Amino acid sequence: MLGILNGRVYDPANGVDGQVQDIWVQDGRIVAADQVPNREAAEIFDAAGLVVMPGGVDIHSHIAGSKVNAGRRMCPEDHRADTGAQNGVTRSGGGHSVPTTFATGYHYLEMGYTTVMEAAMPPLLARHTHEEMNDVPLLDKGAYTLMGNNRFLLGCLGHRQKAKARDFAAWLLEASRGYAIKIVNPGGVENWKAGKRETDLDDPVLGWDATPREIILALADISTELGLPHGPHLHVNRLGQAGNASTTIRTIEALDGRRTHLAHLQFASYGGGGRHPLRSAAAEVAAAVNANHNVTADIGQVVFGPTTTMTADGPLEHTLHQLSGSKWLNNDVEEETGGGVVPMNHARRNTVSALQWCIGMELFLSLEDPWRTFLTTDHPNGGPFTAYPEIIHCLMDREFRSQMLSSLPDKAQSRCGLAGLQREYSLQEIVIITRAGTARALGLANKGHLGVGADADIAVYAPQLNWSMMFRRARLVVKGGRVVVRDGQVVAVCPGHTLCVTPGWDEGILPSLREHFEQHYTVGFDNYAVQDDYVPYCEVIRCK
Amino acid sequence: MSATVLQARANLTLPVEADSITPDRIDGLQQVAVGNLPILYGREWAPLGDLFAVSGDGRADLVLEGDLTHVKRIGQGMTRGTIAIHGNAGLHLGSQMRGGEITVDSNVGGWAGAHMAGGRLRIYGDAGPMLGSAYPGERRGMTGGVILVEGSAAARVGERMRRGLIAVGGSTGDFPGARMIAGSLFVFGQLGPRAGAGMKRGSIVSLGSLASGVLPTFQYSCRFAPGFLQLYLRYLLRWGMPVTPAHLQGQYQRYTGDINTLGKGEILIYDQH
Amino acid sequence: MTRTVEHVVCPTCGCLCDDLVVEVDGTRVTQARRACPNGRTFFKSYDPTPRLPRVHGREVEWNEAIAEAARMLTQARSPLIYGLSSTATEAQRCAVELADRLGAILDTTSSLCHGPAVLAMQSVGLPGCTLGEIRSNADLVIFWGCNPAVSHPRHFARYSLPPANRRSRVAVVVDVRPTATSDIADLFLQVEPGSDLEILTALRALVHARPLSARAIGGVPLANWEDLAGRMKSCRMGVVFAGVGLTMSQGRDLNLGELFSLVAELNDCTRFAAMPMRGHGNVAGADQVLTWQSGYPFAVNYGRGFPRYGPGEFSAVDVLAHGEADAALIIASDPLAHLPSSSAVHLREIPVVAIDPRESLTTRIAQVVLPTACYGLDAAGTYYRMDGVPIRLRPVISSARPTDEQALQQLLDSVVRVSAGAVPTC
Repeated sequence: MLGILNGRVYDPANGVDGQVQDIWVQDGRIVAADQVPNREAAEIFDAAGLVVMPGGVDIHSHIAGSKVNAGRRMCPEDHRADTGAQNGVTRSGGGHSVPTTFATGYHYLEMGYTTVMEAAMPPLLARHTHEEMNDVPLLDKGAYTLMGNNRFLLGCLGHRQKAKARDFAAWLLEASRGYAIKIVNPGGVENWKAGKRETDLDDPVLGWDATPREIILALADISTELGLPHGPHLHVNRLGQAGNASTTIRTIEALDGRRTHLAHLQFASYGGGGRHPLRSAAAEVAAAVNANHNVTADIGQVVFGPTTTMTADGPLEHTLHQLSGSKWLNNDVEEETGGGVVPMNHARRNTVSALQWCIGMELFLSLEDPWRTFLTTDHPNGGPFTAYPEIIHCLMDREFRSQMLSSLPDKAQSRCGLAGLQREYSLQEIVIITRAGTARALGLANKGHLGVGADADIAVYAPQLNWSMMFRRARLVVKGGRVVVRDGQVVAVCPGHTLCVTPGWDEGILPSLREHFEQHYTVGFDNYAVQDDYVPYCEVIRCK
Repeated sequence: MSATVLQARANLTLPVEADSITPDRIDGLQQVAVGNLPILYGREWAPLGDLFAVSGDGRADLVLEGDLTHVKRIGQGMTRGTIAIHGNAGLHLGSQMRGGEITVDSNVGGWAGAHMAGGRLRIYGDAGPMLGSAYPGERRGMTGGVILVEGSAAARVGERMRRGLIAVGGSTGDFPGARMIAGSLFVFGQLGPRAGAGMKRGSIVSLGSLASGVLPTFQYSCRFAPGFLQLYLRYLLRWGMPVTPAHLQGQYQRYTGDINTLGKGEILIYDQH
Repeated sequence: MTRTVEHVVCPTCGCLCDDLVVEVDGTRVTQARRACPNGRTFFKSYDPTPRLPRVHGREVEWNEAIAEAARMLTQARSPLIYGLSSTATEAQRCAVELADRLGAILDTTSSLCHGPAVLAMQSVGLPGCTLGEIRSNADLVIFWGCNPAVSHPRHFARYSLPPANRRSRVAVVVDVRPTATSDIADLFLQVEPGSDLEILTALRALVHARPLSARAIGGVPLANWEDLAGRMKSCRMGVVFAGVGLTMSQGRDLNLGELFSLVAELNDCTRFAAMPMRGHGNVAGADQVLTWQSGYPFAVNYGRGFPRYGPGEFSAVDVLAHGEADAALIIASDPLAHLPSSSAVHLREIPVVAIDPRESLTTRIAQVVLPTACYGLDAAGTYYRMDGVPIRLRPVISSARPTDEQALQQLLDSVVRVSAGAVPTC
């Protein structure tokens, strides 16, 4: 039993905006004050003068799995100077842009985050993702199952077998212990495997009777039909390329009311292209998102400094390798997806990096509904998640932001509309874009708020002179009812939950699935699905 | 000359990490304070005084005595002052050093002068592998300073070197100057095989013999007497490297490469005929 | 009474074939159908009879052996933990935690075999794919310095040269001598030992049509390399399997770096992948676990309380050759048989704890021997295939011995107790 008393509480889901309230916790849940039988026995934390809010919920971050680990392995130079020692409570580890599993858990917790979603899990390698997530302590986490280039699914779509596609998607979510359907450059990765470098929304997928548009719409419909709590989670075609805003806007229009999350929108909001230089198309993309209430988006803000890019969008990483000359790791996954890793330095004086920073900021400030706008860096693509406090500072402090902007190359400043945007986020809005809104978009009814019955995931911050100082280290973090961080230090560890869905599927698909595996996979059908042993702390989130 | 003297108390066989032994750390400290500097012995921290007898006056000039074969990281990151080592030294000697001078009477282990950015490293014996090179994953190794070896150097001297000067009086192991980005490497004895593999720019100068022919991705360009060599050779002569009058007056064959990377590097081979 | 178990995974080599049908009579495997000769021997020779641990040659109770092992490791100033390539990730995770809590040096057999491939990847990257991509799509398969016909006998049939589309692909072998693999190749290029780097640099130049003046490289006429470069550029999808012939020969990681650069450049005009032909069943898993827990795949030193990476310094072969360890914990490996004698000799002079399902040269000299169950036979666990695909091993017989994971967990608990400071958890 725990009481956090007299804090200024920010709980937008329940309409609380900075009022002084007490929060009571029992058995891992938030309880009403009058339900606490024996307050004298409770542990009390005096939060007078402090800010209390739900634990952070990150909707898109690459924290575990084969390509994350490939990034760690390929880049020892990323970890050398960035280490934490074990201290009896915590394990040692480190890494600047791709921290070790333990350090990932600690760093998130120290910032007051308690739930993080791994953004891309190749089903064939799902065991790997879960093994790593089991070594990410404290955080609750789920993983999005990659489907946008799955050949069995492409076959179903080509034969207009919608029900079979739906059952397959449901089966694959369960087999991989995933949380949502992830679509990465739909058809584009499959095309790349066939030698075609770029794929737009209505290009054919070579060898299949399907287009990216059809894949997206089918998976959006499937997500709805299955009642999945989130999704689909979409990384659009032509990501990262100049002039891709038109693809993004056409994709939003194509969705036509279907609930969809657009991942790292910043990388999908570029104008220019061809003989024209890169420029911001954030205003146009934001207008499309503002007008379509079925769409949510996270930003994928770029922050300056060295980082490691990684995505299931294999062709994108190959392009980055060609542009930067940096080392390149690729991993095409049979029948399912691709993946690549390239280290990158987002240099402040580089026009492209600076413009990316501006475009992200412009989106934050142009997207009108904070309940549909979420803070991410697409960790570690735009930069490490540890930069979130600095981004919050930029959003809440116009002056700080304009200082940043004025330090950037003129070409970057002149090719975006950031200078004209005066908006400042309120603290309540920050709570929405980092917790309340993400939890809602994820369909996590017990997270992102402090109402009675919610998971007792709570972050307490001390107000500071600047916002980045405040959000860097929480004064207190409660996870599942337990105090795990005090004064920005992890003081206790426990495993977090793995969030899964079990939408159910028709067994009628099994014979053709088995046949497909026997013909095309190198792992037997009977050895494919992730066993219970890999999700020892599984929490099933109900489908609607 | 007054100096701080550290005498190894016993034969240290387990690894010791002595990155606290730099003039920067020791300058101005009393003897007791020097003896209390932390030093990693195996997996445990010990006071420096447990492993070394400290004498002298706490000046920024250090003298180290005894067999330091297993003492690693001496002078790591130092920016000024001098370290004189009478005996062998372990791995990573003077790695990341930015200034000052280290001299070693005898042999040193691998990665001496790795990622060195400035200062001078003089080795009178032999150097281990990866002299003046880069750690795994890093794009560039040595970025400045001078390394002079009287004896020979093992494999992969100056790998990924970006700037600076390395001169080896004896011969080298294989892959000297591999993946060099710029800088100069002089070898007076036998130049090891596969010199300059993957080099972009920079100069590898062979003043003795060749272990094998140049890689197929180097192209013969000309035979000439490069003017800039005179400057370098006179400088090296002053430092006691075995430069002969013939080296100064002779002709050199020039090969350019590696054509797979950028092709702007050169290997200059002193033509004995 | 005979039982039949299907879909059994063979943990012998990096292929992790998962289609075995195993027959069990009592506690012994009598048949391992579909297994290669290596796998058959592995399954049929295993004796799961319970055995007592030994301390200084004397059979003792399990707890006594654990206590003695913990004492030896905590008393050491520079303990080394080594092996891990033939055990499951569940045990590897415990071993890394043990190293972390102890401040030990931790290394895997990777540093001996394919460590250079990792260093090369850290230098230039690595374009790869899973084995199924190769099985379905490759039309040019190059085996360089490896002999899977002997080391990975089912690799051809299952992954690289499946009979169904064998005729639509060209198999090339580059090696210093004829092998069982070169016997089945369409093209065999026999090269001079130690010439790999010259050949690979030449191939890179030829792929880009850069002029070369040499007439022969590695003892093979330039025209043959021109032919190979042409095949590489014009194939639909190519792959190079790199063996220890490349990693163990002069140049080591620089050879591999040249190969990976060549393969990366080929992706400008076609699709090409490279894959180290990893030997031990779960050496790939050891890389993965060490990387996600420490950031580094092998040769890690926890002496400062946090991981540091030092191939060539913290690799077991170097640590032992320089006498820089004063106790060793060997897990699922036989370094006395495999390490060069300059390194192995030091193992005879320091206290050694060995955790292994089988007797070996190392268990014979170890002061403490903890006989454990064998993953894939009488224990379940996770192994990573050479291409990074994780597979769960199915035990075929019930176990009468603790697993490596259990042994290491007990050792860990014991070490944490000995070094005081219990770990608070909630």
